[in-house]
Amino acid sequence: MSYASFETKEQASARALLVPLCLFMGALLGFPTLINLWYSFSDVSFQNMIGSFVGIDNYVAAVTNPKMWQALRFSLQFAVICTTIEVGAALILVFILHPLLVKRPWMTAILMLPMMVSPALMGVMYRLILNEFTGAVPVYLEMMGYAVNFLGRGNIYKTVVAIEVLQWTPFAFLILLTARQTVSYELEEAAAVDGATGFRSTFHILLPMMKPALVIVLFVRFIDSFRVFDHIYVLTGGGPGNLTTSISIYIYKLFFVQNTLGEAVAVSILLLLMSLTLIVVAMRLVVRRS
Amino acid sequence: MIVSRHSRIDSVAHFLRWVVFAAVALLVNFPILSTVLTSFKTNADINAYPPKWIFSPTLEHYRAVLASPNVNYSHYIMNSIVIATLGTIFAIVLTLPAAYAMVRQGVGRTWLLPIITNLRALPLIIFAIPFYFMYKQVGLLDTRIGLALISCIINIPIALVMFVGFVQDVPRELDDAAKIDGASMWKTLWHVVLPLSRPVMLAVFLLSFIYSWNEFLFGLILTTKNAVPVTVGATFFVTSRGIEWGPTAAAMTIGILPPLILGLFAYPYIGKSMLAGAVKG
Repeated sequence: MSYASFETKEQASARALLVPLCLFMGALLGFPTLINLWYSFSDVSFQNMIGSFVGIDNYVAAVTNPKMWQALRFSLQFAVICTTIEVGAALILVFILHPLLVKRPWMTAILMLPMMVSPALMGVMYRLILNEFTGAVPVYLEMMGYAVNFLGRGNIYKTVVAIEVLQWTPFAFLILLTARQTVSYELEEAAAVDGATGFRSTFHILLPMMKPALVIVLFVRFIDSFRVFDHIYVLTGGGPGNLTTSISIYIYKLFFVQNTLGEAVAVSILLLLMSLTLIVVAMRLVVRRS
Repeated sequence: MIVSRHSRIDSVAHFLRWVVFAAVALLVNFPILSTVLTSFKTNADINAYPPKWIFSPTLEHYRAVLASPNVNYSHYIMNSIVIATLGTIFAIVLTLPAAYAMVRQGVGRTWLLPIITNLRALPLIIFAIPFYFMYKQVGLLDTRIGLALISCIINIPIALVMFVGFVQDVPRELDDAAKIDGASMWKTLWHVVLPLSRPVMLAVFLLSFIYSWNEFLFGLILTTKNAVPVTVGATFFVTSRGIEWGPTAAAMTIGILPPLILGLFAYPYIGKSMLAGAVKG
């Protein structure tokens, strides 16, 4: 047996190891995506699950519905606001708390608890503690002389942002702390010997070294906030009106509440295209940087 | 003099760091703390004004939740355990061999690895509708196995990234030694790589279990009665005619406890898996 054919045999058995994963992903993601594509061009309904071809009617209905743009706007704005606050707060906290946490991992663990909780259950818990009449937070504020209705029309946007921020700042904190802790002690010492202290060492040495982690955190938090569903759904159901309807909640409502299946599928295809564009652009940027 | 002034500034700074830590810890954990405390209060204590922080605890709400005639909560807990466990095992079985093949032979590394790692970035709602139709056709709606398959898909990206990182750290000499002894790729994987993978396997298991347990969207869409997971079942306590505070708080506490406990061990891996994915994905 020649060396070359030996190599091919290795490659062949390596490919065999990949087959189950490919089949699984193809069957459970590829196939549904194809169904989705067909449905987006058909008059599918709960009664008629095959549907017949109707051209681009669903897409026209989707893009001419101002509520889709409203939901898209909400998601984008929500993602930008939450990501900015989370990453900014996490970065500041890393510099304040790093010296304290470096020898005390159990303290880091305490800060990590919120992100282990299901966002849906977190939403329900906030619904309990923010309840206008019996919730702990309004009760304490009332004792201090403030009356705030967190779940009312005027505050609900700020409330859903605050919940997202309070649950996921720990995540941003963890990633940035992990990156901060990999900056070696020797490097910091060397910088100190060269006279770089405090802010100068922070801006010229630490921040540049943490940049890859910062990019990841910004990206991950942006996409996670952009597709937000769970805590808003249990807290407001997207209301009042459409005030807190994210794009994920919008598609859900089109499908399960209004039963406009074709339009729902068309919006989800558009969302898929937007997401893929974003991913490709992000990957290009990362590749060019490195 | 200078030394003592420095040390005083240091100790003030140290004290302030503790204050910031305590404030942040209380702020982000307040809903959890408040809910857990409420779940152990009698109805009289729940309605007390001002709110009580010290009280004699009761288990009555836990009994009420687990014996509730309206909401079959213990069944939902069982559902979540089965779904999360199966989904995690499926993901491990599919991704460990693939990671090995990708690292050692380079197959699929340039196309399959980026595709799968980027799946994590897609909004899940995109797949919700076709899954609903597909499951309806094949009879997987409202089944544990149906949700376990979803869990598996959700966990595949992170499992694959972590296993790829792990195989890269396995010395190639070990493989080569096995190969010289005539072991096939399967055998090397089984006898050499698998025994070494226990720590990373545990990390993948913990993270996947947490993510599966916390999944909500697909549980909401694809289940109605039999396979309802805890995250969806817990909301039933709120929506059914007003809020019963004690039982709801008890249900929440049960629903958040497993991932909280696992998270105490798993959190360092979250940081590492994210940063690893960036370098290699």
